[in-house]
Amino acid sequence: MKNIIGLFMVLSILVILPIIQIVFAAGDEPEKYVDRRVEIWNLFFRMMTVAFVVGAVVSGTLIWLIWRFRESNPKATPTKYEGTGELDK
Amino acid sequence: MSGHSNWSEWVYIGVVVAILVWVGAEAWNVERIIDHVPENAEVIKVTGQQWFWTFEHADGTIEKGELHVKKGIPYKFEVTSKDVIHSFNIPDYLVLMDAVPGRINTVWFVPVDAGQFPIQCREFCGLIHYNMRGTLYVEDGLDR
Amino acid sequence: MVLELQKPRPVWQIMFSTHHTDIGLLYIISSLTFLFMGGALALAIRVELFSPGTQFIADSMTFNRIFTVHGTNMIFLFILPFASGVGNYFVPIMVRYKDMAYPKLNAIAFWMIPPAAALIWLGFADFGWYGQPPYSMISSPSPAAEMWIFGLKILGVSSVLGAINFIVTILKCKHPDLPLSKVPLLAWSFLSSSLIVLVAIPTFAAALLMLLTDRLGVTGFFNPALGGDPIAYSHLFWFTFHPEVYVLVIPAIGMMYEIIPRFSRKPIFSHSSGMFAFILLSIVSFASWAHHMFATGMSFTEKTVFMVGTLAAVPASAMHVFNFLATMWGGRAKYSTPMMWAIGGIALFFSAGAGGVVNTAMPLDFITHDSYWVVGHFHLFVFGTIAFGSFGFLYYMFPYITGRMYNEKWGKVHFIITLIGAVLVFFTQHILGLYGMPRRVFDYPPFPAWIEMNQIAGVGAMLLGVGMTIFLVNMIYSSAKGKEANMEDPFGLGGKYYYPYQRKNPHHD
Repeated sequence: MKNIIGLFMVLSILVILPIIQIVFAAGDEPEKYVDRRVEIWNLFFRMMTVAFVVGAVVSGTLIWLIWRFRESNPKATPTKYEGTGELDK
Repeated sequence: MSGHSNWSEWVYIGVVVAILVWVGAEAWNVERIIDHVPENAEVIKVTGQQWFWTFEHADGTIEKGELHVKKGIPYKFEVTSKDVIHSFNIPDYLVLMDAVPGRINTVWFVPVDAGQFPIQCREFCGLIHYNMRGTLYVEDGLDR
Repeated sequence: MVLELQKPRPVWQIMFSTHHTDIGLLYIISSLTFLFMGGALALAIRVELFSPGTQFIADSMTFNRIFTVHGTNMIFLFILPFASGVGNYFVPIMVRYKDMAYPKLNAIAFWMIPPAAALIWLGFADFGWYGQPPYSMISSPSPAAEMWIFGLKILGVSSVLGAINFIVTILKCKHPDLPLSKVPLLAWSFLSSSLIVLVAIPTFAAALLMLLTDRLGVTGFFNPALGGDPIAYSHLFWFTFHPEVYVLVIPAIGMMYEIIPRFSRKPIFSHSSGMFAFILLSIVSFASWAHHMFATGMSFTEKTVFMVGTLAAVPASAMHVFNFLATMWGGRAKYSTPMMWAIGGIALFFSAGAGGVVNTAMPLDFITHDSYWVVGHFHLFVFGTIAFGSFGFLYYMFPYITGRMYNEKWGKVHFIITLIGAVLVFFTQHILGLYGMPRRVFDYPPFPAWIEMNQIAGVGAMLLGVGMTIFLVNMIYSSAKGKEANMEDPFGLGGKYYYPYQRKNPHHD
């Protein structure tokens, strides 16, 4: 749950800041020309942040699942499909 | 079997779609910003051929393998090729545009920092593709 | 059919057979042979690029030929035939039919592969696996180029014949008591990938023919001097090959759908989501092809359309990841070799997809286009997802085909070494691409960052080589001398999850 809140906070910041930049971009003196390097790398790092946050959530979940539901876990219980002897689809 | 509720999957897909919409919107916006070529951009014709680059400035000066530009001035490259597809690339300035025979592709930039920067080819073009290199010289605009 | 390797059979009986398990075996063995041959080429590339300057490859022409054949071989002679092999072996079993719909056609489709492979390997073309004109048209030497073109034509026909067979078998030959919605997801994966093949391949067949006639000077489709446009080839090529990459990955995901539920001891979280995601992906995969062409001078609107089309395919893949994670949740998992490969495959599948989303953001293409980022990205798919899923499935079906068990410890060692190697090579290549190193280069300037990263990738490639050697020895030794497997439960899962058992009880499932 905390992870999701953190994710939303990061995402909102990443969404709001560019909007602010666009709104205030009109009076951009003395640099009259857009520096494509700055624009593109900024976008890249923002997307990398999102990708790594999502990646941390996905891989964190995967690692937790692997650990929690391993058969050698003392908390492991048989699934309800094991008694029947067959994988019920 | 799918009798149990799938609400978690719907929330997950909602989050995924929201992230993708954000990606698309941001990308669209940045592309819009960098796509707009300034009216006073100086035109440089770039011709790729196996295996070197030729540059023709607006005043007719021709340079081969190296390109001299002035800091702070916008330049618009009109890129084409004489033989196979090449791709004009100044990695430090993120200038990248295919040189296709029979057509002219446009990309623009402003050299913000003075110095020397590599130029390379970014589309496989044969034997010396790996060494189809050049140098961009960005000079402070005072002396030329 | 089962355990055929235990009972000696004359080789010619297997070779001339039209039975689906024999043909499946032929596909699998030949695809693995090509995997090793292509892998040797990859090692040659990594060794050559270990440092600037020439290491051992004499000239750039040889290098160009090596990467061309490496790519062509891996896609057309390893991934596709391996998937066909798995499909041939299991689809009839899964739909509870005696064979594929057209057994003789099936054999013909397989036997088209050896001559095509001979054309590709003996030709050893040099223009990259895309075959992009004008280079492939005016600058690439004969007869290599023509042999490549003919080889790929033959493989295209073979693919289409196989696709027809899968579609008819699944839709028309399945058991009357088996509704389509209960057909296993592995079979669904072959249905969706076969549907894509049927629609996508003819475009490339046309492009190949046009390339050939252009080379012969008869036409000027891609020749600007004659009024043609090289970018037309790009559209035709990518219209086929973007959907084709889904043809490559979908069966591997299907294979993971076999492994993960069984080794978690519970059924797949949502069978219907899996089906829906496969079909959705098949359709949406046609909407994104020109994202490969962002640098060719496309307009802003064109690029936007294809970016949206690319992003639209992501939720379907995300559904599969969710399905796998939700299946593992609440299970009781045994991490035998196949399960390790499947889980590693999911993790790398996610990484590959995330990198792809970055690529498709139009401005970011100015950083990543035709650089080593792209090489790292697609290898995370073809190696990290597809090969991982394929190896896992191969270990899983090993007892079924051979009646023996492979060596479990060495299987796990193979996995760990390969995972580390894959991360070292392909994640590093993403960063190398950010530093600007282009693809398909025989050599590079001595930038320290490029040298370091190429060396890290080189070490990773060596690890992959070691892992594959262990794998080869394990497979060969265990097929001949492995311990006999308990056919009802070769992995000791404690239930009757294995196909031989299900086949004996056709009225369940």
